[in-house]
Amino acid sequence: MRKVLLLGLMLFLASAVAFAQDRVITGTVTSTEDGLGVPGATVLVKGTTIGTATDIDGKYSISVPAGSNVLVFTFVGLRTQEVSIGNRTTINVALESDVTALGEVIVTGYGTQPKREVTGAVSSVKGEAIQNLPMQSFDRALQGRAAGVQVRSSNGLPGGAVNIRIRGVGSINAGNEPLFIVDGVQLNNQSNAAFTQSNPLAFLNPNDIESMEILKDAASAAIYGSQAANGVVIITTKKGKQGKAKFEFNAFAGETQPMKFLDVLGGAEWFDRERTAWINSGNANPEANALNSMGILPSNWQTLSREQLAQIGAELPTYDWQREVMGAGRLQNYEMSVSGGDAKTTFFLSGSYNYQEASFKPVDFERGTVRLALSHQANDRLNIETNINLSTFQQNVPFAVEGSFLGSPAFSASAILPHNAIYNEDGTFNTAIRGVLGQNVVLVNEYNSGIQRTNTAVGNIITNYKILDNLSFRSLFGLDYRLLQGDNYRDPRTPDGAGVRGRSSVQSDWRTRFITTQTLNWNKSYNAVHNLSAILGVEYLSETREGLSGAGIGFPTFQFRTIQSAATPESITGFWTGYRRASAFASVNYDYKKKYLATVTARYDGSSRFGANSRYGLFPSIRVGWSMVEEEFLKSSSVVSEMKLRASYGLTGNDQIGNFAARGLYGGGGNYAGSAGIRPTSLANLDLGWETNNTFNIGLDYGFFGNRVTGSVDVFDRRTKDLLLDQPILWTNGFSDIANNVGELQNKGIEFEISTVNIDKGGFRWNTSFNFSKIKNQVISLYDDLQFLPANPGIAVGQPVGRDGGGSVFAAEYAGVNPATGRPMWYDINRNITYLPLAADRIYYGSNLATTFGGLNNTFSYKGFELTAFFVYEYGAVFTDGQYSFLRENGTRLALNGLREVNDRKWTEPGQITDIPRDVKTNGGNETRGAGRNSGTAALLKGDFIRLAQTTIGYRFNPTLVSKIGLSSARIYLQGLNLWTYADYPGYDPEFTGAGTGQVPLTKNYTVGVQIGF
Amino acid sequence: MKFINKAFLSLVLAGTFLVSSCDSLLQVDPRQSIDANGALNTPDAVDAALNSVYARLRSVRNYGRDLFALADALADVGQTTSNSGRLIGENNNQPNAHFQAGFWQNSYFAINEANLILDGLSGVQGASAAQLARWEGEAKFLRALYYFDLVKVYSYIPTAIFQQGVTDEGGIPVVTEGVVTSSAAFSRQTPRSSIDQVYTQIYADLEDAKRLLTSRGVQYASSGAASALLSRVALYRGDWAKVVAESTTALASNVGSVLSGSAYVNGWRTPVNPESMFEVRFALAEESIGVNESLQSSYTALLNLSNKNSQGGWGDFIPNATVRGFFGLTQLQIGTPATDNNNWDVTRNSDIRAQLYTTGNTVRGAGRQIEVTKFLSKSGFAYADNVPVIRKSEMHLNRAEANYRLGNAADALAELNAFKALRGLTAVNLSGQALLDEILLERFKEFAFEGQRFFDLKRNGRAIVKTTPAVNLPFDDFKILPPIPQREVDGNPNLNQNRGY
Repeated sequence: MRKVLLLGLMLFLASAVAFAQDRVITGTVTSTEDGLGVPGATVLVKGTTIGTATDIDGKYSISVPAGSNVLVFTFVGLRTQEVSIGNRTTINVALESDVTALGEVIVTGYGTQPKREVTGAVSSVKGEAIQNLPMQSFDRALQGRAAGVQVRSSNGLPGGAVNIRIRGVGSINAGNEPLFIVDGVQLNNQSNAAFTQSNPLAFLNPNDIESMEILKDAASAAIYGSQAANGVVIITTKKGKQGKAKFEFNAFAGETQPMKFLDVLGGAEWFDRERTAWINSGNANPEANALNSMGILPSNWQTLSREQLAQIGAELPTYDWQREVMGAGRLQNYEMSVSGGDAKTTFFLSGSYNYQEASFKPVDFERGTVRLALSHQANDRLNIETNINLSTFQQNVPFAVEGSFLGSPAFSASAILPHNAIYNEDGTFNTAIRGVLGQNVVLVNEYNSGIQRTNTAVGNIITNYKILDNLSFRSLFGLDYRLLQGDNYRDPRTPDGAGVRGRSSVQSDWRTRFITTQTLNWNKSYNAVHNLSAILGVEYLSETREGLSGAGIGFPTFQFRTIQSAATPESITGFWTGYRRASAFASVNYDYKKKYLATVTARYDGSSRFGANSRYGLFPSIRVGWSMVEEEFLKSSSVVSEMKLRASYGLTGNDQIGNFAARGLYGGGGNYAGSAGIRPTSLANLDLGWETNNTFNIGLDYGFFGNRVTGSVDVFDRRTKDLLLDQPILWTNGFSDIANNVGELQNKGIEFEISTVNIDKGGFRWNTSFNFSKIKNQVISLYDDLQFLPANPGIAVGQPVGRDGGGSVFAAEYAGVNPATGRPMWYDINRNITYLPLAADRIYYGSNLATTFGGLNNTFSYKGFELTAFFVYEYGAVFTDGQYSFLRENGTRLALNGLREVNDRKWTEPGQITDIPRDVKTNGGNETRGAGRNSGTAALLKGDFIRLAQTTIGYRFNPTLVSKIGLSSARIYLQGLNLWTYADYPGYDPEFTGAGTGQVPLTKNYTVGVQIGF
Repeated sequence: MKFINKAFLSLVLAGTFLVSSCDSLLQVDPRQSIDANGALNTPDAVDAALNSVYARLRSVRNYGRDLFALADALADVGQTTSNSGRLIGENNNQPNAHFQAGFWQNSYFAINEANLILDGLSGVQGASAAQLARWEGEAKFLRALYYFDLVKVYSYIPTAIFQQGVTDEGGIPVVTEGVVTSSAAFSRQTPRSSIDQVYTQIYADLEDAKRLLTSRGVQYASSGAASALLSRVALYRGDWAKVVAESTTALASNVGSVLSGSAYVNGWRTPVNPESMFEVRFALAEESIGVNESLQSSYTALLNLSNKNSQGGWGDFIPNATVRGFFGLTQLQIGTPATDNNNWDVTRNSDIRAQLYTTGNTVRGAGRQIEVTKFLSKSGFAYADNVPVIRKSEMHLNRAEANYRLGNAADALAELNAFKALRGLTAVNLSGQALLDEILLERFKEFAFEGQRFFDLKRNGRAIVKTTPAVNLPFDDFKILPPIPQREVDGNPNLNQNRGY
């Protein structure tokens, strides 16, 4: 019996075992994006803890217990998919990328955080968004991509400076540049090129960027302490991923074209307007004088009648100098990357070549980069990582970056008198150029030469050591090394070189930045509801910069172009400067069930830049958040998928002043009669400290309809206190100013970001993202109850500052032209008309800092086709454009060309209502006892624009199709940059910084590109 | 694995070591500057600091251009060409087109540096008595020169103060203590001294300089130069007996010489004019002021006299009909073709100073003009001519004028005629106002384009009669004086602005 029972039990058990027999399912997990296998994806049997991971090719095999019929496939960044097994034994899954970014992870100060838990104002720009844009530096590509981040190219020099302002302008005299961090290395992005602008950030191929995070509120940035006042941009470069080696070849080529040629007068038109000017000035021989102004008065003019002289003028030819020196340029970019790795070691290796010409030849940019990211898991606890960026770029320099130089094509091409022939009949250069611009800029451009080279190495070594499961140590050593070299030759065959028989100028400038950061990371959960994490760290940074430059004159012939051939050394000089910073910081994160979130940070910074009495500063911050979607009342909502309210307050500092600004010094200067001089150069200020930003921020992150609509709204009040102001000193006391912590500046504003999936049906998808920022900037106070700065009344309480911390426009308001006489008029302080406004008549008129800006992106995709249209816009800036101001004089002051639209609008007859005065020749082109025609606000322009910054049409070939020819992916595209601009702007382009005189304007770009993966 | 752990450990140690001792870590000292405290403790440092005070005279806002070209543009010496558009407003006596803020700034910076040298003399280690005397003398000479230049520009001149106590705002701020600390820089708000106080200060400094100095070259202050400057200061002050005495002392000194005939003309072609008693030295090519604002460029479009076709400066400010009349200047073609600028010169009268004018070139917009060539790459490189601040010839004209004022008309006439003879002119026989006018006219001819004329008119209360354009500036016009830089008035409640601004 017992045996029978036992047997029966065994049989029962056996049958039970048989009944519960597992099924083995195999398959491949791929990504819809590139069709490649996804290694390391999780495959889970739903409702169990049974799971596995895909291998290097994305293949998996899993035993599914009986009774389970659903597999769950998950991978970070891809949308989770559940698949019913049914009777299948092979299940292949293609995961879509998770555009709604539910699980997105954001890089924050010294760590990362799931986007859902971020409580500060952080914008994130993914590398794909700026991929393959023909821009030399990534900062330019940020334009319009993130709310609160205003980006302006300084000019159209490829690799030139970019003006980036995060949440307005917080400083008048200290820098307004954000802190840029690449792979943990804090960069110095100051440009020191002598002969052109070399943007230090152009060292990095933008296509090597994985993501950029912009820490905007002080609380997020406060962990960077005394250098974070202007925000922080954290750049994470691409890293290798586990899997077999992936090769990607990427190339584009195309053309740059001028966006605009200025419509200037022709030879006969200029004669006519000059003659009119002489007539208006009561001259008896207007034709003769007009021809004389043009340098072509015949020697027998006294024997000619006025009609005959007028005939000479009417028959004058017109030469198009702009189209001679401005035109299409080439651009091309080639790069190759390979990435991959095994469970222990991953790598990413890339190399690139980039070339672009500006609209003014020979100005260009040529860059080669090599990048390596290597990560190795030495054991369970130890991980070693390195990122190395090597780059060299070389630029053919313009005559000058800006300025009204006679030899500068960018200045002279539009302003030279149009009757001047460019070439003689025999094809040689015409050197008898008439008018004030007496140089043949085509010749000058052809004969001069110059090159600026920037070699950069940015790299790090990172060690991660897991001391305990919840405690790890991270050690980073980083280097930012830059060598700038330049030489510039003024050819003896050009007027500027003739007087000195040629001049060669050279520059070498080294910057070495060393940084080390040591951090401890700790986290722990209590009762599975209280989550606590902390970071504790120390950091040390030292920077030195030194340079040598010189010039030599007196060259044997023009063929000798390097400085060693100079007969006379004209100048030789050098410099050394440096600073150091030591810091300790801590950050504590707490959340309750991911519902209530809080972060407290503090940093203690010591900097050699500050005065002996205030060398150390504390920068605390607090951020709190309430993730409402985690509450019961929203958890089940089908409409609201994300809702988080957050508030933050923090202190950040600005240390962007001279390395020795706090010191009282005697420096070299004032050599006399061949022997050296010294003079006092600065006053000591032992109390000089950083400038403090206190920012209060309230924000809301939202998501609706399964995150088909997501975005955020932020309002902020950024107060900069203890401004590092160059406080004026009475000149009678021997100095101009002293760096002092006085005054207060405010930026308050609202930022709005929204991303929507408008249509996602039948393979057709339409995404829109839009951002909008409005910022009010004003000076809150100065010192000694002053309402304006004595040395610069444009800096005034209640008025905004400019984008570089300069003052508001402070000028007499233009009242147009007296309809009866054609004289320009201004308003005096009592709103009466005056011809001669005085200093007391000036009023505030806004500044060159735009108040409103943003971007709008639309992407349409259908079965591999993709269309992107990206707009940027700016509103509210007013400024003068030096080039336009010269042309607005309409040739009255100096023999320069004028704009047709200005000439057509000028006053010609009584009763005419216009803003352009009549032309006269008296008093330097102005009415006798009258102010200059560009005085006051007369030549002020509005800088508003909307621009179609990027248009791309692309097609991605079906992965299965291209796999037949051995490729894993293939994409082709056409792209256009700056194809269309809406602006009521008479100059070349409203997007520039600086005076606007003789600057190379931005270009349109057309490219065609191909991306191949294999 | 052990190796890796060791490497890791050493990284930790290195990290902690690097951030251990903060204060010493944060110590970075500049390498091209020294601490202001004790900077002037050595004789070499004082020499170098003094060089800087001299060097500030080279500024465009001082003798680099404005004290010569801009001052003459304000007066009745020339006309503008519009070649670069410079000096037009000044020549038209537009409001605010006058001496610029930088002149005030640079001059007071120099004065502060001189004051710091004087304040620190007692602390110089290892200085000889001779060195101390020289430093004090030179610093005081320079301080006096800067104050004199400032007060003649910003204030009325004692011999012709317009509505004293009504529209005249007095002299200029006089500071005789150096500022090197921020507390002094913040707190000192110096008011304008009276005109008389300023001249008294200048007298005192120059008397000390005269007593303490010898001569070490005309690029430096000397006893003779101090006497010569005193002579001019006394002339402006109406201290006639002093003018006679100091002119006589200066003429007797071994500094500079009075030239005549071709030697006089050649004096303007050598780097150092032998007539100079004190001149501002441009020693190196890198000290060149450049094509835009140098004296050479302001006055002539020529690069040099050897080839008039070479593109040189702008030639913005050229002789007007009055000056051309003095020397009988009209354009003259001397060869063919006419297009070659070397084939042009000017007609001249017997006045040897006519040799200092010729035709320019057609490179710039205004075409070929008659230009002054007193500053034409004398030192061998362009746009950096040494500037004679005081020439010995002036002593004769100062003394003649003072003697006239003292009633010694015969001495005045004799000195004037002797001087005319040096310049190739025949003697005159004049008396009374006509004699004074002739002395002033001779001064005009002698110092045309040397920045004296505006102040000669101003100290005599005379209107400025312009030829091109024919817009006169009466002596009672507020534009005789420039505005004090507005930042100084805004930042200093004790400082009164000049009338009209």
